[in-house]
Amino acid sequence: VSTTLTSPPESGPEAPSKRGDRTLGTRRARIPYFLAAPGIAWLGLFFLVPLALMLVESLKTGGLFSGGYHFNWEFSNYGDAITKNWEYIFRSIRISAYVTVACLLFGYPLAYWIAFHGGRWKSQLLLLVLLPFFVSYIIRTIQWTFMLSDDGIILGPLKSIGLLPQSYHVLATEFAVVAGIFYSFLPFAMLPLYVSLERIDKRLVEAATDLYASRVQAFLKVVLPLSLPGVFAAVVLTFVPATGDYVNAELLGNPGTFMVGNKIQDLFLNKNNYPEAAALSLVLMVVMVVIASIYARALGTEEATNMAAAG
Amino acid sequence: MTEPIDPIRMRRAMHARLTRRTFMKGTGAGIAGISLASILAACGGDNGPGAAPPTDVFKGEPGNLVHFANWPLYMDEGEDANGKVTYPSLDAFTKKTGIDVDYKDLINENAEFFGKLQPQFEAGDPTGWDIIVITNGRHLTALTQSGWVYELDPALRPNFEANAADFARDPVYDAANKHTMAWQSGITGIGVNLDKVNGSIESLDDLANPDKVGTDSVGMLREDMPNAAMIHLGIDPEASGPDEWNEAKAWLQHQKDAGTVRKYYTQGYIDDFKVGNLAASMAWSGDIEYYRVWEDKPYQFVFPETGALLWIDNMMIPVGAANPVGAIQLMDWYYQPEIADMLTEYVLYMTPVKGVQDLMLENAKKYRDDGDEDTAKRTEESAHNQYLFPSDEFLAKTRWGRNLTTDDEVEEWDAIFDPISQS
Repeated sequence: VSTTLTSPPESGPEAPSKRGDRTLGTRRARIPYFLAAPGIAWLGLFFLVPLALMLVESLKTGGLFSGGYHFNWEFSNYGDAITKNWEYIFRSIRISAYVTVACLLFGYPLAYWIAFHGGRWKSQLLLLVLLPFFVSYIIRTIQWTFMLSDDGIILGPLKSIGLLPQSYHVLATEFAVVAGIFYSFLPFAMLPLYVSLERIDKRLVEAATDLYASRVQAFLKVVLPLSLPGVFAAVVLTFVPATGDYVNAELLGNPGTFMVGNKIQDLFLNKNNYPEAAALSLVLMVVMVVIASIYARALGTEEATNMAAAG
Repeated sequence: MTEPIDPIRMRRAMHARLTRRTFMKGTGAGIAGISLASILAACGGDNGPGAAPPTDVFKGEPGNLVHFANWPLYMDEGEDANGKVTYPSLDAFTKKTGIDVDYKDLINENAEFFGKLQPQFEAGDPTGWDIIVITNGRHLTALTQSGWVYELDPALRPNFEANAADFARDPVYDAANKHTMAWQSGITGIGVNLDKVNGSIESLDDLANPDKVGTDSVGMLREDMPNAAMIHLGIDPEASGPDEWNEAKAWLQHQKDAGTVRKYYTQGYIDDFKVGNLAASMAWSGDIEYYRVWEDKPYQFVFPETGALLWIDNMMIPVGAANPVGAIQLMDWYYQPEIADMLTEYVLYMTPVKGVQDLMLENAKKYRDDGDEDTAKRTEESAHNQYLFPSDEFLAKTRWGRNLTTDDEVEEWDAIFDPISQS
């Protein structure tokens, strides 16, 4: 986002047409800022202000019986947020990592196939991928609880013909939580992958094979590197929200899948402990930024992005 | 007095009550609530506890409108000629007193509703409500301790003084009903799916026995289980301290280690119960009884041998209420047996008003005389249901939950019990 917002003025689309016509030049230079203003205002109002409020909240002290919470530079909330909840943070990161890997493993071939072999059906195929979005996220997750219930339409018949033991269940397992989040986030992973794959000039692959690269080599040396920006975006778009997800753990999980999102929800809604909830939210945010930064460095995404942009 | 109730409509309404309550609490409301709660909390002022209880709150004439916040399908409903939902017992109040009631069934969870009001209390602003309904527990205690609900004037509740059932008088969490009057009440016991258990289920110990209930097949109620475990161990929660809490925790851990527990529920256990995911579950009497009586399900509600947990949903008047006099008049209105009967026949919870059982039996007779045998039979069955009309012997075996009254207690309690359900 920051690139989009800051780069246009520096590399303004056109230089002022006449030397000395400074007013016109300044005006033109300002135009991108005007155009960006709604976006900046939106970010300020709905991201920075709430973030600041959350920061203030996280430094309060008090309790249910102290007539609420009062600002007191209570930094110990952060200590509590970390020491009491690291288990949930790690668990969430682990579950989210499974989800992200699954999304890439399933999303990449799907995106590849649509981008390279979808032909005139591309739009329709993409629509199919997006179709679940037309139903509310929560409704879809609740639907799984009906479909996968122990005696439901899938497990019931399998049990009655003896293929599964009576005590077998899918719900209330970690697998169900991972699968649920995977299902919900697959389109988020698939779309950026598709965009980056679709942009690849197919003649490059032809050129590679003309130069005696096998199909695998052509994929590994041409297609995969060029699609890395998509992979990066897919990972971020999946990993970050999946880590904070609590709906799937709530509906499909068991006590062992209680995630950091569930803890934040519990602190907010059941315990009315807003300062600790706010502190934990901010801790989670920082953890995610750190992980994303390390990941971006490790993958050299900027170069990949620039390369793709140049291509 | 009471209009005959169409059983089909009642059944539909009850079903809606259950599904709506469990659904909203479990998910949707939680998600909407998290952002709302955070925004409200963030915007809250720092003005400390609300004003001290004023003595002259209840002077003068009532205003002409009462704003009443309650839980979904916790009020008798009817339909007018245009198919619009009406509330007969409230309409009767309006007819009698000329006071209109703005009734909203928007409370889905105590903590969440408390969280919505808290910033207004802190800022000293009115909440917009004249009556709110909160279950006994930490949030209710926080409201009374902080001075965020008015002390009630006993002179203005003659029906309550005359007709309140003994269990609803002078409850442990509110001496002499200084701030509260019971709306409805209920019991937390054990729901059993008879098709899914081996042998009889009689106590919580059976919910820790894989031979009886299988593995991953028991539901536990997060908020109620510490008290239920203490009652099970022969400890009176009211008199308990951290040592007893740890005993209860040890039992809950033992149960968890036994591998029987599938999930610890805040809400939504009944959905899992209905689709057969649970062989047995801690349960609220009304939920299980409804499916047993009205849908002929193979369910049983078990009152544990060692006793059960009793809870009450309480009417209160929040500080800043515009019409406290009208509010207490309406609260007292429901302590007339005929009015309480209208309510109880519909909502099927334990009534805090004496004399309702006889009225219900009379009504059953009327339905029979009118030729509506089915309604008559079910009304009769309800009238004899001990979970609606508990005997003294039955009530003697119930216990109140531990009333937490300080932040330190709350913190200790949560630190002891949260790890059971969250890891």
